Amino acid sequence: MKELISMNILMQKVRNIGISAHIDSGKTTLTERILYFTKKIHRIHEVKGKDGVGATMDSMELEKERGITIASAATYCQWKNHEINIIDTPGHVDFTIEVERALRVLDGAILVLCSVGGVQSQSITVDQQMKRYQVPCLAFINKCDRSGADPFRVIRQLREKLNHNAVAVQIPIGLEADLEGIIDLISMKAVYFDGEFGDSIRTEEIPAAFLDQALMKREELVDAASVFSDELTEAVIEEKEISEKLLIEAIRKGTIERKLTPVVMGSAYKNKGIQLVLDAVNQFLPSPMEVDNRALDLDKNEEPIRLSGKKEDPLVALAFKLEDGQFGQLTYIRLYQGELKKGDACVNVRNGKKLKIGRIVRMHADQMEDVEKIEAGYIGALFGVDCVSGDTFTAAGLNLSMTSMHIPEPVISLSIKPKDNASETNMAKALNRFTKEDPTFQTFVSKETGETIISGMGELHLEVYVERMRREYKAEIITGEPSVAYRETITRSTPFDYVHKKQTGGSGQYGRIAGFMEPLAEGDFVFENKVTGGSIPTQYIPACEKGFTACLSKGPWMHYPVTGIKIVINDGASHSVDSSEMAFQAAARGAFNQAYFKAQPVLQEPIMKVVVETPAEFQGNVMGSLNQRRGMIIGSHDVGNTTEIEAQVPLSEMFGYSTTLRSMTQGKALFTMEFLTYRQVPQSVLEAIEKKNEKKNRTGT
Amino acid sequence: MLKKQLILKNPLGFLGYETDDIDQQGNFGAVTSRAGVGKTAFLVQIAISSLLKDKRVLHIGIQDPVDKVNLWYREMFSNLTQDHDAKQSRQLWESLLTRRFIMTFETESFDFTKLMARIDELIAQQIFTPQVLILDGLSIDTAMPSELNRLKKYARQNHFIVWFSIRSHRRHTDDPVGMLRQWGGNDPNLFNMIIQLLPDKDKIQVKRLSLDREINDRPPLFLDPSTMMIKETLES
Repeated sequence: MKELISMNILMQKVRNIGISAHIDSGKTTLTERILYFTKKIHRIHEVKGKDGVGATMDSMELEKERGITIASAATYCQWKNHEINIIDTPGHVDFTIEVERALRVLDGAILVLCSVGGVQSQSITVDQQMKRYQVPCLAFINKCDRSGADPFRVIRQLREKLNHNAVAVQIPIGLEADLEGIIDLISMKAVYFDGEFGDSIRTEEIPAAFLDQALMKREELVDAASVFSDELTEAVIEEKEISEKLLIEAIRKGTIERKLTPVVMGSAYKNKGIQLVLDAVNQFLPSPMEVDNRALDLDKNEEPIRLSGKKEDPLVALAFKLEDGQFGQLTYIRLYQGELKKGDACVNVRNGKKLKIGRIVRMHADQMEDVEKIEAGYIGALFGVDCVSGDTFTAAGLNLSMTSMHIPEPVISLSIKPKDNASETNMAKALNRFTKEDPTFQTFVSKETGETIISGMGELHLEVYVERMRREYKAEIITGEPSVAYRETITRSTPFDYVHKKQTGGSGQYGRIAGFMEPLAEGDFVFENKVTGGSIPTQYIPACEKGFTACLSKGPWMHYPVTGIKIVINDGASHSVDSSEMAFQAAARGAFNQAYFKAQPVLQEPIMKVVVETPAEFQGNVMGSLNQRRGMIIGSHDVGNTTEIEAQVPLSEMFGYSTTLRSMTQGKALFTMEFLTYRQVPQSVLEAIEKKNEKKNRTGT
Repeated sequence: MLKKQLILKNPLGFLGYETDDIDQQGNFGAVTSRAGVGKTAFLVQIAISSLLKDKRVLHIGIQDPVDKVNLWYREMFSNLTQDHDAKQSRQLWESLLTRRFIMTFETESFDFTKLMARIDELIAQQIFTPQVLILDGLSIDTAMPSELNRLKKYARQNHFIVWFSIRSHRRHTDDPVGMLRQWGGNDPNLFNMIIQLLPDKDKIQVKRLSLDREINDRPPLFLDPSTMMIKETLES
């Protein structure tokens, strides 16, 4: 019993957090500082720093070179008796699956925002993901030392754009080049960060010049927090002194319920405010015990079941990330209940296979520390476990699965070819690893051309994998033209009545299918059986469905996949001897081809939501460039000297846009792109695609 | 077919405005009410009605971001088409989007010179040539008569009309005409169409006003506060 209580106390001091943000908001810089102040590293290395080392969390060579975080790396550190597990997540939309996975296993997050850029497009995407997984967060407004910094405008944007009940728990002492320190509105003290790396904290009285503002902002904070604590409300009404503990508890409650977003601020680059961010993580974000985690009970029709979070209960763990390193496959797991020791056995629920646990480690970027066991609430990594990302491990006898993650369909493809035999073997190895690690990255061999095709979420996504094949696997790759995932659909309801008859020599074949096909507003394919009176015997109905389904992967018109179609069969005929499953499958294919062209098929293309942030002086040119790319400009939003342009642009027109944008805006603009919808291809473009496909078929390339 | 049915729901038609009133280049219209009564919803209905008539609408929002403005259009359009075929409605919506452009400004970033420069650029680059301009969120305290006259001249030159939302203070509720006269520098021709939204118990009354004459020729119209659409059956 005593052990249980102390275990719970320990668990209350654990934080599993993620750091999410728009690209270039400084989250990797923030992580670097966190590691430095928690003494996990002894020197600070900048992203794209002059020392050429790169930030610690950007362990992949490519990440260091490009200054972006591609794969999330897990690490842990300690701050004031609390253990903080951090997953650093990528900022680029193409790598959203990494962000999604991280959020799935985290109990809380720091949303990093730039005090100049404010709530930018990807902050909105990340925020939606946090909502989906109910992740409580606190906001850190970074770069308060930059020219144009305005943290209070960012707080307004958090309220208006993201609907957060955001409230400042700190205010800056000066802004831009005058940023000197931070005023903590809970203790009502001024905090300064002295020394070369801001290690030495000096606490003083609030400077007179900032006192009025601090009092006003504290009142706002108390007001917002009092909603979550009767005791605090009472103290306010009775004008009693409000203790720090009372205020922190109220803010914590609001944050965990996702009804309040405490906002801290500073400058990671200038080492100002980071220690207070860590304090805020300890104070406001939940421990694993305070998060309601649920699994699906596969024995009870996927009924959600609450996981206890207790070490004593049977094991439930999620493999949320795989990496294939020099010592074999490394599987990152999060334990929701139970514990996992070296030598233990557990079951992979997906395939029922028993797993023997070998080496267990805790990760710190690309370095690791061997441990004997991991307990509920913690994140660790296993060696030598055969699984795929998203698998659930449980104790024998449990049939639980963690909720499946939302995995978007790839929208862009690229053909790849190895240069030589050695590269061919290495390419195969690399593809095997990447597809296991990243469910949004897929690969297959084209039946027509025999080429290997890779598909993913954007140009950069594929580019990075090709580059990684070269660097990490020494596979020299020749890439083809990127191609877009077009698809066909029908636009009108059309009947069919088809007889498949082959009764000349040998055993005969006979099957008649009648019904209609019609466009489907939602979903890819629906098959409905309305046959009455046994005109098609029940045993042949699945064969009919199979026959229709077989036609969908390659449409009879442009040979792209067919989606958004409903098939209803309502009549047919069979023969007592000649009818078979094969005959009805063939009849279904015939019926599909008979009706398809009459149903007026159209070609659809993926449309991307593109958001460009540009200095206002270039906004006209940027709009022109989007317009030229068949983009439909939805609107523009002016904030200070920056214009944010939102457009819907066909993916096929976005190849190479980053280069165009860079040269057009002297590198001062940046854009994000994410899949929005499928829309019909205009006639002129359709003709061009037809010609291109014709040429491709003729030349075989 | 759907388009024709929806055009008949034009809120300006219900108020007795003729096509000539609406289509005169350089005309100014104003929707005025206290905060939170439904000016944006009403303006968006006017915009949708113009889009349905194949006009190009430039929506200028002050303070609200693009997504929020877009949400207003989506909501008003779905209220308008809720009894119609979903697929047809979706196709119509997508066709309307090609004729609509939203430009939003943070309050402190907005001024008339910048607005006109932006429109010039859109026209010069053949990105968008507006026929109707919706100007939502302008504060009566900041826009000067001289600037409004400059905009009117600019609208005339560039062949578009402008609809404003104008928030009235409590003291103006009884005399919006006086407020607009004052705002326009006592130019009786500045606003050609004026609509006042007035909370009336659990309804919102829609009144047609004029700067230079009394208009009492029509029975009052009401908005349904739940959808902000005009109630077609007149109630006492």
